[in-house]
Amino acid sequence: MFSSLETGASGLTAQRVRMDTLANNLLNMSTTRNAQGQPEPYRRRFVVFAPGQAGDHSKPGVHVQKIGLDRSPFRMKYEPGHEDANAQGYVRYPNVDMSVEFTNMLEASRAYEANITMLETTKQMLSSTLRLLA
Amino acid sequence: MFIERMVNQGNLPLIERMMKMTARRHEMLSNNIVNISTPGYQQRDVNVQAFQKMLRERSAQRRVAGPGQIRFDDLDPTQMDSDGSKQGMLFHDRSNRSIEGLMSDFSSNAIKYNLFTELLRKQYGSFDNVLRERVS
Repeated sequence: MFSSLETGASGLTAQRVRMDTLANNLLNMSTTRNAQGQPEPYRRRFVVFAPGQAGDHSKPGVHVQKIGLDRSPFRMKYEPGHEDANAQGYVRYPNVDMSVEFTNMLEASRAYEANITMLETTKQMLSSTLRLLA
Repeated sequence: MFIERMVNQGNLPLIERMMKMTARRHEMLSNNIVNISTPGYQQRDVNVQAFQKMLRERSAQRRVAGPGQIRFDDLDPTQMDSDGSKQGMLFHDRSNRSIEGLMSDFSSNAIKYNLFTELLRKQYGSFDNVLRERVS
């Protein structure tokens, strides 16, 4: 029963990492340059979940296996006056779609809530077990 | 020997086994819930019907053999894992995961667990009364 608490905590961590990634995608949805200031647009990140605890994959739980880079093509926007525009006047914008990010965010936040409810129930079950001793 | 017979008659061992089973199921269902967004994850569950059938058979045997003769503690719910996923076509990995179904299974399982702990507590309470030679 105590292992359920660890399981729930691993779910919370995984969903939070997912939320961080999604927030980072949204923040950078118009970033046309990389950290070095070169005209390389931000690539959308996504998390890859795998079953098992982060430290020990044989234990029940979930962990973020990796944060991947979305290989889909960048959005091209016609902005001839932009500093980062190419010869044809197009600027490469990140391959981030706001509606996709928001949908994923909603899913992540609901999953987080489900995990919280699960932990609450587990705690309450444990306390009812402890009452057996009284 | 006397205590052994006392605790191995009536529904005490049945309650204890059911508690064990619901606790095990709680672990499996919580693992299903945290893996709700894991692609390709196969949900797992305890086969409740099969476990209860085993309990029924065992208690029918006990009725013939008399109290204390048949033991229940070898009935292990961890052996009863069944693949809880119902194949669906909604997701690309063909797992039919629904958070609503999982959460309702989860909470009804928790309520059952609480019921069994409460029953067990009452049973222990009556033992306590017997040992102290007083009525409630």
